[in-house]
Order: sequence, then structure tokens, then C-alpha cells
Amino acid sequence: MYKGGIYRTNYKEIDMENTSQVPVTVLTGFLGAGKTTLLNRILTEQHGRKYAVIVNEFGEQGIDNDLVVDADEEVFEMNNGCICCTVRGDLIRILSGLMKRADKLDAIIVETTGLADPAPVAQTFFVDQDVADRTKLDAIVTVADAVHLSSQLVDHHEAEEQIAFADVILLNKVELVEDNDIVKVNDRIRKINPFAKIIKTTRCDAPLDEIVGLNAFSLDRVLDIEPDFLESDHDHEHDDDVTSLSFVSDTPLDMDKFQDWFGNLLRTKGQDILRSKGILNFKGEEERYVFQGVHMLMDASPMGPWPKGKNRSSRVVFIGRDLDNMNLKEGFENCKSA
Amino acid sequence: MNADLEKLQETNKTELERRGSIFNIGAPATEAVTTRDQIAVGFGDGTVRFFQSGSDPKTVKAHKGVVLSMTNYEDHVLTGGDDGRFLKISSDGNIEEIFNFGSKWVDCVASHKDTKVCSSGKTVYIWTKNKDKPQTLEHQSTVAGLAFDNKGKRLAVSRYGGVTVWKLNNNKWTASNYTWKGSHGTVTFSPDTKYIVTAMQENQIHGWRINDKADLAMRGYPSKIKSFTWVGDTPYLVTSGSSDAVCWPFDGKEGPMGRKPIVVANGGKELATFVKALNGEKAVFTGFTDGSVLLAEIDESKKPIMIRSSTGAEVSTIAISSDNSQILIGDMKGSILLSSLWADN
Repeated sequence: MYKGGIYRTNYKEIDMENTSQVPVTVLTGFLGAGKTTLLNRILTEQHGRKYAVIVNEFGEQGIDNDLVVDADEEVFEMNNGCICCTVRGDLIRILSGLMKRADKLDAIIVETTGLADPAPVAQTFFVDQDVADRTKLDAIVTVADAVHLSSQLVDHHEAEEQIAFADVILLNKVELVEDNDIVKVNDRIRKINPFAKIIKTTRCDAPLDEIVGLNAFSLDRVLDIEPDFLESDHDHEHDDDVTSLSFVSDTPLDMDKFQDWFGNLLRTKGQDILRSKGILNFKGEEERYVFQGVHMLMDASPMGPWPKGKNRSSRVVFIGRDLDNMNLKEGFENCKSA
Repeated sequence: MNADLEKLQETNKTELERRGSIFNIGAPATEAVTTRDQIAVGFGDGTVRFFQSGSDPKTVKAHKGVVLSMTNYEDHVLTGGDDGRFLKISSDGNIEEIFNFGSKWVDCVASHKDTKVCSSGKTVYIWTKNKDKPQTLEHQSTVAGLAFDNKGKRLAVSRYGGVTVWKLNNNKWTASNYTWKGSHGTVTFSPDTKYIVTAMQENQIHGWRINDKADLAMRGYPSKIKSFTWVGDTPYLVTSGSSDAVCWPFDGKEGPMGRKPIVVANGGKELATFVKALNGEKAVFTGFTDGSVLLAEIDESKKPIMIRSSTGAEVSTIAISSDNSQILIGDMKGSILLSSLWADN
């Protein structure tokens, strides 16, 4: 039916049954970290799989694949009332074109420039319905240079964002760094991103099944949030540092209170909240609810009953800037049912 | 409504499908255009196939990947592909490469008389008669749509942030910008050339009155608008993107400003994906996500008729032959229905 008013896309239900979606892996990382090395490993070691690779024209050369598409990283603001909603216009165009091919692709890899913010890439998969119908974001994989990451994190916002958005971080070139320095850089990464998988590598020599085919953005993967990460300390020097905070509650939450608080939080602070994830135990509900968000956009869905004999505890994680000034702990506590 | 249309409404879907031919090409149909006596269809396997009633289609292997864009040009078609080639193709299989952009896609093409136009990236390339080298027009972002007005004097180029309308004077193109926040795709001039309209990345279409740049924001759609077509003398701009064909009136001084659209051809829970005017009639063909196609008059009191039943694949193109005798419907799975519109053909 035709209805008046603006249709807003900042909430969508995912289609768990749709298995024909082509998985898309996003490769981020600073120039020289080893993205092309990893890319060529994926392309050459997975025989018989048909990949399309989307690269930017200023990127590194020498990619070993039949189907390489040049892209200009065009970040577009959406005119949909969502103030921080940006998408990659070039990706929408290219993914739509690739989906018209007669031959079916097994996967698509998007390589971003070193200084790219991953948010518009991730948001593209939430916002554009055609892209969401035909492809799915598999994971954001960030290649970090163990030698230079610490200084890059100080000098560039983008380095922090690439760590914050990652589902997998390859801490590469560890052979060039002393062991205690590796521990330091590992801890630094953990403070920014408590749920990414960190793999220490030399020449990106990680098992490929830990990099592709992860389905990291599907809601059922949110259930993998490990309670160990939930003891976060957040002593940091600058207010604009990216940090994470997490909370647990064994008291069931009130659904209305949570929706009010969380909806308002994303609306007003979504620009500073880079990623959010959670498993929720609502009072009176038999099913677990899970959500995950990128800035102001989010997916949420019931995800089956709680496993028998396991604690029904709600767990939420936020990664972002200026989290201390959002009264997150107080807000979360207030959602507990009376 | 004339007698022919009444005759058509007496037929039913089995009738149109029964007397037509079905071809399963196996690659998505991306574009269809009408040449003098054939209908050319571009596919996701890089072929262009020329369809004509009573014979098998003629297949031309044109592009390496997907035929991204196509338009008619004299007796030929012009195509742009994801292999970076801009081609002029005739139905006898003759291919002339107008330009090769290498690894850059040729996203949009357009033509007017003997002028050939394509876009690749942010640049529009214009070839005029007897000139080997194209003129180039630069834009701030990737070109997403091209349209000539009916005299070929103005070229609308849609992009992020609005439309650039280029005007040809003494062999020089000068730009005029029509701005509206957001990303603009397919673009069209109204038949009287008083308006330009774009389909946006957001679920809306946007129009401008050309002489004073007054804005027309047409919203309320549940999905992106992929297709529009001008219908009848009013005229109506009929759009896809909803469960009906949404028809905006462009008559009077103000066009659709402050008016409600007419909605026809309800597809139930299916969304309209492609619309095509029936030439010379106040009627439109509407294709849906499930592959079905309805023919409806622009009149909410009239019942639409089923032209093609569901195939399970979204309708991606519809074309009518130049003599109004044949309809071609193509979908995303590569099924093509070619059928005569009139029972006694």
C-alpha cells in the first residue's frame, strides 16, 4: 500500500533463511600493513572459488584475480533523517552490478584505502535494501602493522576506527617486534575492541577459515560475546580515544524501558557509538533477544529460547568515543525490571 | 479508451502467455530497448539479443561481463558494460567499439539523433557526428543517470547532491545545477521538458521545475524506485517502488505539487519493480517482484488485467515494439516472454 511520510531504514529485520546472499569481506588497514598480501592469499589458496575484488584506485597493485573492480570511495550522506548515516555510494552501484552477472560469485572482497572509515561500508549493508537482500557483510578484517600501530593510533582517527569496527584483527609483522611490545599493542587493541579476534601473524599467515566465511554480522554470532571481556577498565588520556564499556545483569530487563533508553541513546549519541552488541533477557519473555548496531543503525531479533541450565544474564557491549559521558551504566541499571 | 485496448482487456494471462514465446536465457535481463523492427535485450552474461516475433532471437556476444546500460541509436543499440567498453551494435552481429575505458565501468548511455553519449566514473563523454574525439563533461561524483530532452539541446546528468543540466549553445555545453540533498539515480525529462525528475537512493523521487528550480519531493514509498515512465497526455509520471503503480500528475502550472498520486495495479504483497507506458494510451504495464505483470489504466475505478503470471523472479525490464504490436518482458532469472499484444495479430 502507498503510505505517506518518510520511510526510515534505521531498523530492519534480517532474513535468516536467505542463503543465496553472497558474503562480503571488508579488508581494512593502513597502507603497508599487509592487506594485499592477505588478499592474494585468500584468492590463490582457495582454489575453485570465484571471487570479485573491489579495490580503490589508489590502492596497492598486483592483485591476482580475474574480476577486479576499480572503485572511488564515495561516501554519501543519506537524506533520511538519520544524522550520521553515511553509505558508500560506489559500493551500492558496484554490488548491484555484480549481482546481475550470469555466473554466481562465491564471495566478494572489498579492500578499503588506508585512511578509510569503515562505518559507511558497514552501514551500506544495513541501509540499502537491494544490497542487504543479495549480499551480506561477512566480517570486517583489519590488518594492523605490529611495528607502527601504536603510533598510528595516536596520529590517526581512522586507525582507531579500523580497530574498533573489526571482527578480526591480524596483528601482522610480529616477527619484527619484541615480545613485551606485542603484549602492549595487544592490550591497546583490547581496550578499543573487546570482542574482535586477534591473530598474530608473519606475512598474514593466519588460517583462512578464521578470516573468511565467519558470518560475523549475523545476529546469532552476537551470542558469542564472551563474559571474560566484560570487566573493562577504561583509563585513557584523551576524551576522543575509542574505548569500550560493557555491562551484565542477572536481573531481567523491562522491554519498554530498554527500548526507550536504547532508542534514545542511539538517536542522540549514535555518532559517538561506533558499534554496539548485546544479548537481552526481558522479563516475561521466553526467548533471548539479540541486537547489534553500527552508529545509529541496528539489527535486532529474538533468537530462540535460552539454553537449559544456563544463566539468563543480559550482556551489552559498547565501543565508541566519550562513552563516560553517556551515563551508560546508570541507563542500563534503570532498565532492570522492578 | 480505444477499441484495441478493450480488445486487450478481454484477453487473459493464459492467452498472452499461450500465444507468446518464452525463452530461458539463464542470465538476468538488464535492459531492453526498441529499435525500428526489433526489441534488443541486454543480459548479465554480456550478450545482446534481438527479438522479433516469429523467429528465434539473434545473439550478439557484446560484453565480457554485464550489459549495464543500453539505448537505441538509429537502427542500432549503444551499450555500456562492466568490461569498460562502450559499443554500437547492430542486429546482424556487427559490433563497433566506440571507446574502451579499461577497468572502469560504463554505467550510463544516452543518444539523440547522431549524438552518442556515455558515462564512466564522474565523466560524461559526448561523440557528435564526424568527430573522432569526444567532448567531456566533468562532475563532482559518479554519474548515475543520463537523459536528453526531446530536442537534444539539454542533457540531464544525475549524481550525488542533485542534477547537472547541460545546455548546448553554439557547440558549447554550459551547466546549470539543480540541488537536493542525497544521491540521485535514473533521471528523466517530462515530455513537455518543463520538469526533470530523479529516482533517489532514498525511497523517494525528486523533481524540479526547470525554469525556477522549484522542488517537488515525492515520498512515501516502501522501497527504492528503480523505474518510471511517462503515461498519457496529462502526463502522469508512473513509478515502481510500491505495491501499486504510483502515478503523479504533471499537468497544470504546479504539476504534482500539493496533489496526491493515483495508485493503480495493486500487486498485493509484491512490490512493483518495473513500469512501462503503453504508447498512445492512458495505461501502464507494471512488473512486480514475483515476475507478474499487470496492465492498468490510470483510473482507480478500473480493474487491472494480468499480462504475465508469477515466475518467482523480479521483473527487470519491459519493452513494447515500435508498432505497438509486441510486448517483451524480462526478469532477473533470464526468462523472456515475447507476445503479441492484440488477439488478432
